[in-house]
Amino acid sequence: MDRMAATRVVLARAGDALIVSNLGSNTYDLHALGHRPANFYMWGAMGLTASVGLGLALARPERRVIVLDGDGSLLMNLGALATAAAQAPGNLVHIVWVNGLWQETGGQPIATAGAADLAAIGRGAGLRRVVAVDDPDGLDAALARAMAEPGPWLLVARLHETGSHEPPPVRPIANRDEFMAAAREAPKA
Amino acid sequence: MPWTDDVVAAFREQEVRLIAYVADRVLAPAIERMAADPYFHLVCLTREEEGVGVLAGGYLGGMRGALLLQSSGFGNTLNGFGSLILPYQIPLVMLLSVRGGPGEFNVCQVPLGQALPRVLDDMDIPRYDLDRPEAVSPVTRGAVRLAFATGKPVALLLSTLLTGGKGGRI
Repeated sequence: MDRMAATRVVLARAGDALIVSNLGSNTYDLHALGHRPANFYMWGAMGLTASVGLGLALARPERRVIVLDGDGSLLMNLGALATAAAQAPGNLVHIVWVNGLWQETGGQPIATAGAADLAAIGRGAGLRRVVAVDDPDGLDAALARAMAEPGPWLLVARLHETGSHEPPPVRPIANRDEFMAAAREAPKA
Repeated sequence: MPWTDDVVAAFREQEVRLIAYVADRVLAPAIERMAADPYFHLVCLTREEEGVGVLAGGYLGGMRGALLLQSSGFGNTLNGFGSLILPYQIPLVMLLSVRGGPGEFNVCQVPLGQALPRVLDDMDIPRYDLDRPEAVSPVTRGAVRLAFATGKPVALLLSTLLTGGKGGRI
């Protein structure tokens, strides 16, 4: 599955969900497909995207929160899966793109290129709604459920690299203010 | 513990509800108090840096919070401050149980505990000592106000001079 195509599938299902994107490729792809006020673009804090999504989901239980994460980043903060399972916010949809690489730094292979299985780790951390997909139709079907049924969800999607490499012209502080205003809104039906 | 009452009351007054924590003997009574109070939502972390993300997300969603941790655990948070909290100007209140000072018995707590003020200064994170009973209430309240009014992190340093340290035997 193509990374940009996979991000398109997410956006088609996202509705008014609050989206937090991981540093690098996920932030670039999300912005390249059209800025939305409900997008929070991370530029750093590798590993913390899942945690930011968890905090947001706890603060805004009425809104769906989508985390666009990367396998290299999640491997830095696997404890976040256990914390999400313990807190169990029903509105959290954590999507992890698995390419088995540190893409931004030259494509060095990482543990998920070999034996590490993030879906199994998620289940082992206590998450019940874990789906592994490897094509756009599978991702779309999983998202249809994840956006409608209570989570927390962990969608682990294997893909290859063909996304954007264009850093978005968005200043963090401006992004923060616009996102916070969008997050305050009531959910759309 | 009176300091516990004052910290919890100041958090309530300032609407600090999301409490992310890693265990510490000195902080335990405050954590237990807030866990028993439905006003607060507690998040038990696996590692301190995770709490930086959780509290940043909470703030973005309109919920104020605080991170409760030991001075040694502050070392685990640094990139969260450097590449999320400071550049996005996200307020974050830390209540730190300072190890490595008067009463310390464990040499492994000393280097980071004693470097803590210097590291905070280098990171441009304001720090305030909670070292006397009469300071706890105004300093906690004021530091929380400062953080949320200005988009800054703040560190409240709980001294063993106030708490008695681990086991209450400084």
